[in-house]
Amino acid sequence: MDSTSALVLDERGTLSVAQLVEQSGLSEAELHVLVDCGALAPHDLRASTWLFSTRCVVTARTARRLRDDFALDDVHAVAIMLRLRERIEALEQELRHLRSLR
Amino acid sequence: MKYKDYYAALGVERTATADQIKAAYRKLARKFHPDVSKEKDAEERFKDVAEAYETLKDPEKRAAYDQLGRHAPGDEFRPPPDWGQSFGGTQFSFDDVDLADLFANLAGQSRGRSRAPNAPRPGQDFEAAVRLTFEQAFTGTEIEFDMAVAEPDERGVLRRVPRKVKVRLPKGVTDGQKLRVPGKGAKGVNGGRDGDLYLDITVEAHPLYRADGLDLYMELPLAPWEAVLGATVELPTPAGRISLKVPAGTHAGQKLRVGGRGLSRPDGTSGHLYAVAQIVVPTVVDERQRALFGQLKDASTFNPRAHMT
Repeated sequence: MDSTSALVLDERGTLSVAQLVEQSGLSEAELHVLVDCGALAPHDLRASTWLFSTRCVVTARTARRLRDDFALDDVHAVAIMLRLRERIEALEQELRHLRSLR
Repeated sequence: MKYKDYYAALGVERTATADQIKAAYRKLARKFHPDVSKEKDAEERFKDVAEAYETLKDPEKRAAYDQLGRHAPGDEFRPPPDWGQSFGGTQFSFDDVDLADLFANLAGQSRGRSRAPNAPRPGQDFEAAVRLTFEQAFTGTEIEFDMAVAEPDERGVLRRVPRKVKVRLPKGVTDGQKLRVPGKGAKGVNGGRDGDLYLDITVEAHPLYRADGLDLYMELPLAPWEAVLGATVELPTPAGRISLKVPAGTHAGQKLRVGGRGLSRPDGTSGHLYAVAQIVVPTVVDERQRALFGQLKDASTFNPRAHMT
């Protein structure tokens, strides 16, 4: 059986808008709203074609999951949920760091 | 196939409007979604509710569900023989799939996808949780999955088939990271692309090392005289034992950095290992040692509580 390499979704790889749409299940319009709200940041906001880090797939898929799971019509609400989740994750990471110094 | 009452799962009448169904689902999602719920069995309850909503929110799928007729929940039943044809022409083998598979693969899905029965449709993405030992994460590893997936065979008949997937994970994967395995989701339909497999990584705690990003932390117990006089100690790092020079006057909590001995990634980036000094004292001392400590006490003017006075 062939083995397939898993790709780490981090800051290093890049994706186009079309790839991000395909891999996240969000529409292009929804991605634009998330960028407007600051939930997703392309490498260069002013560039004519946006490029995103592959880490954005994680954020965009989380957004799609939250949208579907809570049947949210408003992507702005999704953006706020993402921001709150990010803060929780940052706090959890800090907690882990502090515990590692105990 | 076992019947599930999707209307009962959402607590609505069979005549409920789309808005009533959505409102009922939202209320239950707020109650049982694992991200927000403190209820017992929240995840199981949420899955049932989400499965029901996935079908009832789509008018076409809801109509297909209604055509299955009314049965008691859990009853074995078979859909009418022409059932699949009226909803996109997909054939089904009803014995080895469940109700959720049936609707997930129904042609003419929501979210603006093409409604033509022969239009290419991408395969569904899969997600899997992967638990790695610290050593596997440190060195990279190959893992094998057994999955049961519902996918159409060569005649387009939907079946639940076992699938083995082998995946290579690079070294330096950290706890909480997500990875994408391209093309290892469900097969695409009518020439659509295959779905992807997404992996959620958990790295098990290690008795010696704690990771923070690519950096590693470990405790370094030192005897009081080693901390005062300095010492060279043997340190077990994940990549092998090394000699570490502990400088004289090392205090408890001080971090001694061992460069490049943290986790490393295939692209060459790597973290550091930090040995955090701990001063430990012997619990049993003999007469001679007690006398020596006594001499040290008499000779020393050191006051560890000077800042408290």
